[in-house]
Amino acid sequence: MLETHDLSAGYEGVPALRSVDFRVGPQERVAILGPNGAGKSTLLKTISGTVTPEVGSIRFDGQDLLALSPHQRVEAGIVHVPQGRMIFASMTVADNLRLGGHRSAARQRHDERRDLVLEIFPALADMLSRDGGALSGGQQQMLAVARGVMACPRLLMLDEPSMGLAPRAADEIFEGVAALLQSETTAMIVVEQRAYEALEVCDRAYVLESGEVALEATNEELLGDERLAAAYLGTEL
Amino acid sequence: MIEFLQFLVPGILIGGVYALLASGLGLIFGVMRVVNFAQADFMMLAMYLSWALFAGGIGLDPFLAMPGVFVVFLLLGMAVHWLFIRFVIGRRENHDAQVILTIGLGLIFQNLILIRYSSEPRVVAPSYANDGDFIGDIFISRARLYAFLLSMLVAALLFLFLNRTATGRAIRAASENWEAATYMGIDIDRTNRIAFGVGVALTAVGGSALVTFQSITPFVGLRFVVVMFAAVVLGGLGSVGGAFVGGVLIGIIQSVSQVWTSAAVKNVWVFGLFLLILYVRPNGLFGKVQRAI
Ligand SMILES: Nc1ncnc2c1ncn2[C@@H]1O[C@H](COP(=O)(O)OP(=O)(O)O)[C@@H](O)[C@H]1O
Ligand SMILES: [Mg+2]
Repeated sequence: MLETHDLSAGYEGVPALRSVDFRVGPQERVAILGPNGAGKSTLLKTISGTVTPEVGSIRFDGQDLLALSPHQRVEAGIVHVPQGRMIFASMTVADNLRLGGHRSAARQRHDERRDLVLEIFPALADMLSRDGGALSGGQQQMLAVARGVMACPRLLMLDEPSMGLAPRAADEIFEGVAALLQSETTAMIVVEQRAYEALEVCDRAYVLESGEVALEATNEELLGDERLAAAYLGTEL
Repeated sequence: MIEFLQFLVPGILIGGVYALLASGLGLIFGVMRVVNFAQADFMMLAMYLSWALFAGGIGLDPFLAMPGVFVVFLLLGMAVHWLFIRFVIGRRENHDAQVILTIGLGLIFQNLILIRYSSEPRVVAPSYANDGDFIGDIFISRARLYAFLLSMLVAALLFLFLNRTATGRAIRAASENWEAATYMGIDIDRTNRIAFGVGVALTAVGGSALVTFQSITPFVGLRFVVVMFAAVVLGGLGSVGGAFVGGVLIGIIQSVSQVWTSAAVKNVWVFGLFLLILYVRPNGLFGKVQRAI
């Protein structure tokens, strides 16, 4: 479905991604793990188009993605839930959700999608007329994910959805994502520091280090090999 | 007290028009962080258009011409964005280019009009230009009342546009966080183009609301540029509603100050208030942007 080839990107000459080959199959769920500064967010941004790669190609359904502008990539079905949530703080939760459904394929389905996201994240149901900025961190993260789901994504990209959240709030996010995946066939990329939680909802994982793919493995390979798990997933369990 | 009201009421009336002039500038700055120094010259062009429609044969009333003026300047603003502005948007190092470009556009507009129409002041004097009604002891000029009511109507329509339409919501989203708006699938270039067109058209309509009591020269923009910028900063950079309130406040101050001092120093009062408010609230009354330029 999505395939990057020899992808390199950087910021003002400082490389952040080096020759990355990365692939997501149809309906596949892929985790991207790795330390801070490894280039995980940069990879998602080159896919959604807010960072332009220096070399390499990205294909989405066989189409050259780099020929599309960022909003056209959303139209094609690539939906990015950015790190740090970036909700519209001065706009109501309802308006945030409406903006999530800005994509033309999603406009007609607004009510149906809103019902779906409120089912996944019931805490948002009472907040629809509140300003986004008035929500707690956990609720803002729910809203950020919900906003992405509103777009009827074909490929949903979540960048560190548990960042900065208390364990309870992070669990709620992962539960919501798991519930979503019950009813949706969308492909997904999850960038996470909480490797084990991410792997629970994913089929395969990449580990990025210093902008390079250090490891690509299926869940079973990663979780079944103590040496790999210790090296790349940290010691939590 | 009566004397105070006699100055307060016209202050509110002209303030409504200032509010409209400033909301156009404020919208453009809020959405794309471009300070449009040509804004007052778009206003000047709109005043000439109203004058030409009125004086040039058809005798079209400037208030009736306004929907047409709005559309013309919406398209003109979008064209100027597409031709010039979009190339200097974003990136911090583009600020110099934005300043030079918009000041340059303003100078070109002024001089084209100067060449075509000379610097002779033009006036638009419909039959009601000097009419008015007394409410108690307070005289209300009909032309200014129309200008005020029209400004309020346009402001209400702007509010509906920004809050109730998909394009309006996209513009607000882009002004709050362009990166997040991009991830929503919003075409930032398009929202910028529309916001620039609407911003120019708002100020243009404000300008043509002025023509029945403000004579027109190629340099009339200079009389209003200070008011517009002061209103935007006063209300808070990035807030269209703030720019609006700022405009009304300035109208009131300019007028009411004449109870105590001559009209010649009315802008001294404006700047006094300006400094006072910025001292108490450095981001303006409703400011969103911490540091703009
Ligand atoms: N906007 C930016 N400007 C300059 N450097 C950046 C920017 N964003 C990220 N970087 C740098 O690029 C590298 C990769 O960052 P990022 O993709 O955010 O990593 P991760 O998401 O894995 O933590 C880091 O060294 C980071 O400092
Ligand atoms: Mg990151």
